[in-house]
Amino acid sequence: MEKRLIKKETLAGIVGELAGKMRVCAPMKAEDQVLFRVLEAGEKPLVDFANTKNAPKNFLFPRTEMMMKYTRTGKGMVFAGEEETDRGQTLLFGVRPCDARSFTLLDMLFDQEKYRDPYYINKRKRTTVVALACVHPPYTTCFCTSVGGNPVSSEGVDLLLTDLGEAYLAEFLTPKGEALLSAFGGTPAGKGAEKKKEEIAARAAGEIASRIPAREIKPILDTHFEDPFWDTLHLKCLACGTCTYLCPTCHCFDISDEVKGNDGIRIRNWDSCMFPMFTKETSGHNPRPSQKERWRQRIMHKFRYYVDNFGAISCVGCGRCVMACPVNLDIRKVVADIAKL
Amino acid sequence: MENVEKKLREEAKSLLAEKKVDVVVGYEKGTLPLTATPCFITTPEEADRLVWNPFCVQNLAKFVHDLLGQHHEAQKRVKPEARRKKVVGVVARGCTSRSLVIHLQEKQYTKDEIIILGVPCGGYLDGKKLAALAGGEEIREGSLDEGKIVVKTVSGERQAALKDLLADNCLVCRFNQPVIADIRTGEVAPVAEAEKEYDPVTAFENLPPEARWAYFEKEMAKCIRCSACRNVCPSCYCRICFADQSQPRWVDIGADPSDTQLFQLMRMYHMVGRCVDCGSCTAVCPMGVDLRKFLKKLDKDAFEMFGHRAGVSLEEPAPLGAYRETDGEDFIFEPGKKIEA
Repeated sequence: MEKRLIKKETLAGIVGELAGKMRVCAPMKAEDQVLFRVLEAGEKPLVDFANTKNAPKNFLFPRTEMMMKYTRTGKGMVFAGEEETDRGQTLLFGVRPCDARSFTLLDMLFDQEKYRDPYYINKRKRTTVVALACVHPPYTTCFCTSVGGNPVSSEGVDLLLTDLGEAYLAEFLTPKGEALLSAFGGTPAGKGAEKKKEEIAARAAGEIASRIPAREIKPILDTHFEDPFWDTLHLKCLACGTCTYLCPTCHCFDISDEVKGNDGIRIRNWDSCMFPMFTKETSGHNPRPSQKERWRQRIMHKFRYYVDNFGAISCVGCGRCVMACPVNLDIRKVVADIAKL
Repeated sequence: MENVEKKLREEAKSLLAEKKVDVVVGYEKGTLPLTATPCFITTPEEADRLVWNPFCVQNLAKFVHDLLGQHHEAQKRVKPEARRKKVVGVVARGCTSRSLVIHLQEKQYTKDEIIILGVPCGGYLDGKKLAALAGGEEIREGSLDEGKIVVKTVSGERQAALKDLLADNCLVCRFNQPVIADIRTGEVAPVAEAEKEYDPVTAFENLPPEARWAYFEKEMAKCIRCSACRNVCPSCYCRICFADQSQPRWVDIGADPSDTQLFQLMRMYHMVGRCVDCGSCTAVCPMGVDLRKFLKKLDKDAFEMFGHRAGVSLEEPAPLGAYRETDGEDFIFEPGKKIEA
């Protein structure tokens, strides 16, 4: 694996220049928020930020995405074209290690033996992930270390950048990452830089203020599907989809058709287990009739079913849902309360 | 405020101990600095969790409607002789009490099903203004002392007067006290400048139509259709929202901006004379959409055309829900013409 040192002041310029050659998505200021968006050629991304309000999953699994077009003819419906794929390469810059880990969790679902999702896989193949390690945890609500991650995790990362103070240590971890060697340049990194990174990694992990018993609750969830705990947990929930829409690992979708005259498109949109409509059946019956069953599903899916199916907790500890929930229904507290059952 | 909080806890405790209520809906301390969150108290011992301070944001009338609506539904499946009444106690400030009045006018439940714990209100903290004070950084610690807010972020400490951080709707509120209450817990000096209530709307009305439409389009483009605004709104209680209907599907959730615009327009038009300007929709919006600008315009119209303020008295129903012989019709021919109430 190639390791280089890159001068700090040059990084944003390197990425800005790459934006002229390929599609680059990076954190940018948008009014009072930091959001991922596509850069114009030469536009410099933020390199000094906490984390983005939205998760980068949108670039692999868009909020709304066309699957195919069709036309009505005398002989019935006729296929009229595939999803509009942008065939070029995409560089996802400035991803935090927790969000990069979310890609490996999404891979387990969308790219597995039983089912391979071409829409996701096509985008994933063409995307290179450049991550910025967390030298300090960006928020007090971060809890990556409780769910299998850490502030300098390289899971799901092609090129990992760690701020050593005067320079970034650039680790070109995969062939996709190595393809960026000439663009990023830099000088070979020695043992000193590696040692410094290890120190930073240990300190940053120690600075994580929130710890939750995420692994411990699996056996409890296995035996507590019916429990009075679920009866009151959801009461203040507004049934909005904020938590699931901002979540880097939530991946549920709904497919619908939009027709205009004789032309139709089939699109898939993000859906949310928090919405009453999510499980409503054609007959009118809803197997998850209240917010109680929906919240139980959200917790079970992340901390029990995903572990059963793929051996991993479907939460990366980014804390977005904790910060953005309009009624402060804090998943850290929910998990801690379950551990006491 | 401490005295109000103390009295509130005592009153809640005795209501629960004397079994006059089944539950008290109030606020408790949140898990993040400078936050409070809705809570549901069912035993006298828990009543000490109740808080009353400027961090209490959401209008709790929504939860009263939820609880009683669900109870009424559940009672339909019980034999008439076994049916029981449920009484909900609710911590209500001015705007919350006005929403309760609207529910009573609209016959959602009867007065004997609720006990209103009236609290005096000097306004609540605006999330966006607070975030601006913190320079967009995470608030790691916060305090409120003698009308002064102090926040600590990673880069240091900042402070501001509470009155400079209050929500816009609170700054022009004329209801420091609940309009109806069973128990009142204290007084507070009004902070509001009610005479300026419609100034921003008037300024907006004076813009050319293109500029107003451009603002509407810009704000609606931020919406991610999580529905938090609809779900938190006490006046938005349709059993099946038109936006959730599938036969026919009135609005889609895909990439067409007109879907989101239509959803918001339709929701807002249902608010004429029914919006109490509690600001909850704006406060819970994760994307910071300025919904209040448009809702306040409808509120102004309801006042100028019908002399109506939403939920001010039980005897005065919303203008579009009542018939009066004195109702003018000139507005059809002369939009904007003022009508004597």
